[in-house]
Amino acid sequence: MLQVLLSGLASGAVYGLVGMGFAIAFYVTRVINFAEGQLLMVAVMVAAAIARTGVWVGFALAGGVLAAVLAGVATYLVAVRPVLAFSRFSFAWLVSTLGVALILQNVAAIIWGPTSRSFPTLLNGTGVHIGSATLTLQELVTIGVAIGMAVGFELVRKRTLFGKAGMAVAYDPEMASALGANTGMMAVIAFAGAGLFAGIAGILIGPITYSNPYLGNTYGIAGFVALMIGGTERPVAAMVGGLLLGILEEASKSLINTQASDWFPFVVVVVILLVTPQGLFSVGPQLRGLGRRWRRPRPAVT
Amino acid sequence: MRAEAPAAGAQREAEAGPAAARSLPWRSPTLLVSVAAYAAFTYYVAHDGTLYLQGLILVAAVFGILAVSLDLVAGMVGLYSLGHAGLFAIGAYGTTLLYNDHHWNLFVLLPVSMLGVGIVGLLLGTLTLRVSGLYFAITTFIFTLVVTVVASDFAFTGGYGGLIGPIFPGFPGWLDWLGQSLIWCCMALLLLAVLLSLALRRSPLYPILLAIRDAEAFAAAAGARTALIRIGLFGVSAAMAGAAGWVFTFQGFISPSQFDWTVSVNILVMVILGGLNTTIGPVLGAAFVTMFPAQVNINPFWQEVLFGGLFLAVIVVYPAGFVGLVEAAARRLFGLLPRREGEAPAAAVAARAAEHPAPIGISALVAAAREGAHHPEAVPSAEDGAAGVAASRLAVECRGISFAYGSGALAVNNVDFLVKEGSIHGLIGPNGSGKTTLVNLIAGSLKPQAGTIRLEDVSFEKGGPPARARAGFMRTFQAPVLVRELSVADNVGVGLYSRVPRVVPRAPLWPVLPTARKDDRRLRGRAADALRFVGAEQWTRARVTNVPHGIQQLTQLAAAVVAGPRAVILDEPLAGLSPTEVEHVATILGELKSAGVSVILIEHQPRFVFALCDEVTVLDAGEVVATGPAAAVRDNDRVREVYLGR
Repeated sequence: MLQVLLSGLASGAVYGLVGMGFAIAFYVTRVINFAEGQLLMVAVMVAAAIARTGVWVGFALAGGVLAAVLAGVATYLVAVRPVLAFSRFSFAWLVSTLGVALILQNVAAIIWGPTSRSFPTLLNGTGVHIGSATLTLQELVTIGVAIGMAVGFELVRKRTLFGKAGMAVAYDPEMASALGANTGMMAVIAFAGAGLFAGIAGILIGPITYSNPYLGNTYGIAGFVALMIGGTERPVAAMVGGLLLGILEEASKSLINTQASDWFPFVVVVVILLVTPQGLFSVGPQLRGLGRRWRRPRPAVT
Repeated sequence: MRAEAPAAGAQREAEAGPAAARSLPWRSPTLLVSVAAYAAFTYYVAHDGTLYLQGLILVAAVFGILAVSLDLVAGMVGLYSLGHAGLFAIGAYGTTLLYNDHHWNLFVLLPVSMLGVGIVGLLLGTLTLRVSGLYFAITTFIFTLVVTVVASDFAFTGGYGGLIGPIFPGFPGWLDWLGQSLIWCCMALLLLAVLLSLALRRSPLYPILLAIRDAEAFAAAAGARTALIRIGLFGVSAAMAGAAGWVFTFQGFISPSQFDWTVSVNILVMVILGGLNTTIGPVLGAAFVTMFPAQVNINPFWQEVLFGGLFLAVIVVYPAGFVGLVEAAARRLFGLLPRREGEAPAAAVAARAAEHPAPIGISALVAAAREGAHHPEAVPSAEDGAAGVAASRLAVECRGISFAYGSGALAVNNVDFLVKEGSIHGLIGPNGSGKTTLVNLIAGSLKPQAGTIRLEDVSFEKGGPPARARAGFMRTFQAPVLVRELSVADNVGVGLYSRVPRVVPRAPLWPVLPTARKDDRRLRGRAADALRFVGAEQWTRARVTNVPHGIQQLTQLAAAVVAGPRAVILDEPLAGLSPTEVEHVATILGELKSAGVSVILIEHQPRFVFALCDEVTVLDAGEVVATGPAAAVRDNDRVREVYLGR
C-alpha cells in the first residue's frame, strides 16, 4: 500500500508539474497551451543531447530547462499573441498551439531520430527504502522538487507584488493594464513559467523514460488531466490533481489489473467533473453554499 | 386604426419581396449549380476514381460530416465540444456490433445509430448543462477518453485490434453505371449535413442561436428557452456524428485509435481552420486536414512540420480560417464583391430610407404583431388602451418581494410594486437603490426569496424570462445586450421569437417550407416596421458592431416592441442618448402608451420621468419611499429628501 502511494506520488509529481505548466499559462492568458507536453519533451531531448557531448551533467540539465523556457516563450510569441490580438475569446489558439506541438515533436524526431535514446541516469540508480516500500532516489527527489515548486509558486503568487499583478491580469486584463500592469510582459513570463515547470518535469522524468520525441503526448495528456482534476482557478490545484492522478494510476494497476490504469483514473475524473464541473477545488464554495441553503433558500442567480 | 393595419401590412410585405427571395435557396441558381457540380464530382470519384482516391474522398467526407456537425454547436451556440470523436465512435461501434452480432439490417442501422448517438448527445448535453466554454470542452473531452478506453479495454469491442466492419451493398444492376455505391452514400450524407447547416442559417432561428451564444439574457428575454435549445442542438449534432460513424464502418475495420481524443481535437481544428460558423468552411477544413498528409509525399517528419506550420500560418494570419482567407483575397481582387450585408453603401441606405418616408404608427405595429399572437383575447385596442388607465387593471402586481444577493444585505426589501395596465410607470432611485434588481425580479432573471409576482393576473413565481416573453412581457437591458455580428434588423428579429409558430422544429427545413416564405416576409416586414417606429430605419442592415451606442439602445427598444407586447420594461433606455434622441424616445413611449402597452421605465433623469410618467415609484436602499401619481410623488417631502433635494 505504501509502495502504491509513494510510486503514485512520484509519477503524479511529474503530471502535477506539467499540469501546473498548463495552469500558469492558462491563468494569465486564458489559453490552454497544447504544446505544453512538447516543452517537457524539448527539455528531455536537449538535456540528453548535451549530456552525450560529455560535458558536466549539470550543464546538460540546465540547458534542457533553458531550452524548454525559450520554447515556451516562443510558443507565446508565435502562436498565442497574434491570435489573442485578433480575439481574446476565440478558440483559435487551439489550432495554433497544436501546430507548434506538431512542429516541435517532428523537428525533434528529425534531429535526434524517432526512437528512444539514452538519458543520464542521475539519481535513478540509488534505491531508498521507506518502511516496506522502495523508491529510487530520483523518484524521491521528484516528489520533493514538485512540492517545493508548487509551494514556491504559491508564495510568489500571493506574497509578492509581481504575483499579485499576475492575479490582477488573470482576473481582468484590461483593468490591470489600465492600472499599469504590463500584461504583455506578464503573459511572456507566464509562458516562460510554463516552460520552466515542464522543463523541470522533463529532467526529473528523463532517467526513467529516456529521451524520445513522443514523450510530449503522454505527459501532455496526463498534465492536462491533472489540470482538469484540480480546476483552473488556482494553478497549485493542478499539482494536487497530478498527485491524485498518479496515485489513482498506481492503485488501479495493483488493485485491478495493469490495463486498469488506462481507464480507472478517467472514471474518477468523470465523477469529479460531474460533481464539481470546475474541478475538485471549486467544491469548497459549493459546500459553503450548500451550508447556507440549509439556513435559508438561496437565490438562483443567473 | 385597426382596420387599416392589415392593408398596411400587405403593402409592406410586397415591399419586402426582393429581400425575401433570399429565403428560397432551393431555387437559387448558385445552389443548383453547386449541387450539380457536387454530383458530377461524386460521379467522377465513384465511377472513375482509383481505389486510393475513393478511400481519400471517403475519409474526407466522413470528417466533413463531423466537422459540419461540430460547427453547428461550436459556431452557432458556442459549445466547443471535444466529445465528437466519442460520439463518432459510438455510432461506428454500435453499427458494427449490431450488424456483426445481431445481424440488423444495415439501412435500419442508420436511423438507429443517429437516434442512439443523438440520445447520448442529449444526455451528455444535459449533464454538462451547468458548464460552458472551456469546461464544456473539458467535460466532453473526458467523455471521448472514456469511450476510447472502453473500446480498447473490453473484450466485446475487440480491444486494440478493433472489429471488421460490414460491407456496403453495391448498387442494383440498373444503377451500376453510377460506380461505387459507398461513395454516393457518403457524399449524400455530407450534402444533407451541409444543407441542414445552410437551412438553419437561413431560418429565423439563426439569430436566436447566435443570441444564445453571445447574448444569452437577450435570447431568454425574447422567449427562447436557451438551455433547452442548446441541448437540443447538441443532440442534433450528435446524431450527425452518429451518421458519420455509421458510414465510417464500411471503410473496412474500426479500432480505438481511430476515435481517440486527438480525433476530437482534429475535428475542432478542421472547423476553426476552415472557418468557424460558416457553411462550407468546416468541409474545406476537413478536406485539408484529411488529405494533406496523404497528398504531400515528402519525409513524413518534415511533412508533419509543414502541416503544423500551415496550422500556425493560416490561423495567425487569418484567424477566420480558410473562408476568411478567401474573403480577404476576393475583397482584394474584386473590391466590392464580398461586401457583407452590414456594409451596404450609404447611398443605397439613403435610397431605401426614402422609399418609406411615412413613419409607421405603433398602433398599427402592435395590432399587426398581435394578429395571430397566442393570446388575442385580452389585447386592448388603441382606444381601449387610452381608457385603460381609468379601468386600472394591473399589468404588474408585486407584493412583498424581498431579495438578497448571496448572503449580503437585502437589495430589495418587502417591496410592493403595482403598475396599472396601459400606463407609463417610472421607477427611480439613487444608484444602488435596487431598481435593476427589482426589474430583474419582475423579468424573471432573478427569483425573489419572498413575495408574489403577478403579471396580468397570472402568477409568475416559477418560470424565467422566456415564460414572461411568451406572455407578452418584454424588456431591454441597461447596457445593450445584442448579437454584435448580426445586422440591426436581425437583432430586432430575435424579439419575434415567440411570434413564429414552431420555429424550432421548422428551422431545419426552413428554406423548403412553403409557409416559411410567408413567415419570412412577415418577420422582415415587422422588423423593418419596428425599426422605422423607433426611428432607426437607416441602420436596418448595418451590423451592430458598427452602429453608435444610441442606435443600439433603439435596437433593443425595437426588439422589445416588435412582437406587440402587453408591457415593456425599459432599463435606462436614455443612458448615453443625445438630447434629440431623448426627445424621440419620449415620443415613442407616448405612442406605446396610446397603443395600450404598459411601460415600466427605469430612469436616472428625474425631470424626464416626472414629465412623462403617469405614476412613479421611488426606491431607496431597497425600499419603496413613495409611489403614486407623478405629481404627488414629485411633491412628496421624503422623495425630495432622498432623491431630488439634498
